[in-house]
Amino acid sequence: MIEVRGISHGYLAADGLSQFQALKDVSLTIENGTFVSFLGPSGCGKTTLLRIINGLIKPTQGEIRIEGARVDGPKPDRAMVFQEFNLLPWRTARGNVEFPLEVQGVGKAERDRVVSRVLAQVSLEKFGNFYPHQLSGGMKQRVGLARALGVGPAYLLMDEPFGALDPQIREMMQLELMKLWDSDRKTVVFVTHSVDEAVFLSDRVIMFGTSPGRVVADLAIDLPRPRWTDDEAIKTSAKFIQYRNDIWRLLKHQLSSMPAI
Amino acid sequence: MSERAAPTPIDQAPIDRAPTDAAPTDAAPKPPRSALARWWDRRGFVNCLRWGAIIAFLGAWEGSSLAGWLDPLFASSPSLIVEKLWSMIADGSIWPHVLASANIAALGFGLSVLVGVPMGLAMGRSVAIRSTLEPFTTALNASPQVAFLPLLIIWLGIGIASKVALVFLGSFLIMVINTEAGVAQVDRRLIETARSFMANERQIMLKVILPSSLPYIIAGMRLGIGRTLVMVVVAEIYAATKGLGYLIFQAGGLYDTAQVFVGVVILAAAGIALNSFLRWLEKRLAPWQHVQAD
Repeated sequence: MIEVRGISHGYLAADGLSQFQALKDVSLTIENGTFVSFLGPSGCGKTTLLRIINGLIKPTQGEIRIEGARVDGPKPDRAMVFQEFNLLPWRTARGNVEFPLEVQGVGKAERDRVVSRVLAQVSLEKFGNFYPHQLSGGMKQRVGLARALGVGPAYLLMDEPFGALDPQIREMMQLELMKLWDSDRKTVVFVTHSVDEAVFLSDRVIMFGTSPGRVVADLAIDLPRPRWTDDEAIKTSAKFIQYRNDIWRLLKHQLSSMPAI
Repeated sequence: MSERAAPTPIDQAPIDRAPTDAAPTDAAPKPPRSALARWWDRRGFVNCLRWGAIIAFLGAWEGSSLAGWLDPLFASSPSLIVEKLWSMIADGSIWPHVLASANIAALGFGLSVLVGVPMGLAMGRSVAIRSTLEPFTTALNASPQVAFLPLLIIWLGIGIASKVALVFLGSFLIMVINTEAGVAQVDRRLIETARSFMANERQIMLKVILPSSLPYIIAGMRLGIGRTLVMVVVAEIYAATKGLGYLIFQAGGLYDTAQVFVGVVILAAAGIALNSFLRWLEKRLAPWQHVQAD
């Protein structure tokens, strides 16, 4: 269980005096085994909150508790997948997946075993010796996903992971993620801009509003699973469309109240 | 916070879920051309221009000398230089000079890398260290390092130490400045990623910052080698009894222009060889830098 307790976070502006309030008094609880999306316009603090949960950023106020323990830095129970993949260009796909294990002091034999297993999970077993610049965007993000899975996290934190992919690849990756998720139902926190993506993937969509960043809605998505076997049926179902329209309406309201779009 | 960065190029992966025989993105179909034609396109034309220019230059030099337009006493000629070089190799008189210079160059340059790279890494990573050391590096960089030679001789004597010190002084700042620039260009997101996977500061330095800065460090070494060769010659003008710098200046005093050129040719050849080696090394160690070039 991830507990977000009274998190506020401000960034100092370039003049060093004024503060940009990225998040104000956000509290929420994420149950284990659920797929939760953070949805909202740019500047609503959803990515900041994800980084605070990861332990990369210390919040100005409030705390994160995971299984009751206070978060004060990154731990291997949480692994992050980044929007821009963030692969090390001098390492092959294998080397990139190996990186966190190496850093955490896992032995060579065990590393090799884990790397082979997770690369197979993302269907990249034949591409282990390719460098990132030799891989397509979709394949790069599979490496990013494999790298996170290799750590064996209980919580997968995904920061707009498919945001840099083109639309067709994006949909394929969503299906693959659903398939992968059904195999172990880890807790996933998924940041996205896309309403459709949030509804299709999630058990629960948490909507954020801007200035200051805060939670404006928290919706349970009650669509049947598995969702990857017949995604078209789900995406054309009346329920899906209803969820999407409801969220769109909320989002439009948020966008129209922003100072500039 | 969550704004999009530049869009990535269109995905070329097959869109099925198991990319089995998918080609890497750079395997575009090539027009059917013979191996020779492709070699010509890639290297041949440029190489012919390059070697043509070199041969024309040497030919003009040799011809002017033969025709009496240039006085060989002052300008020498390619054939006289080759003859002199060959005789010095044949009687073995060249080797003590080459060895003495190589020794100074290797020690001085080696030290400048060993000191310059860690110093550049530290200055690039820590504002406190950078702020402290920057006045010294800037001042040293702005001053003509050759001017320190008299001081170095007073402090370290006329032996090898003062010469090595001059080479070091001439090339280590380039290593510091280039390494620092390399650290500054490291993608912040890669550092954040490493931190999120629990890398400590030492691991971030060794596994992210150092490899990412390597192209800059090697570029610094290429510049440093040029400075090293200059400093070796300058150091050997004073108080030396052997070395290529000594050879050149002694020959100059005797109007033996062919021998002056022998020294110059050896230094130039060493510079070109080391530079090519480092270029090759950079391609090997940083292949992702050459995606477009390949």
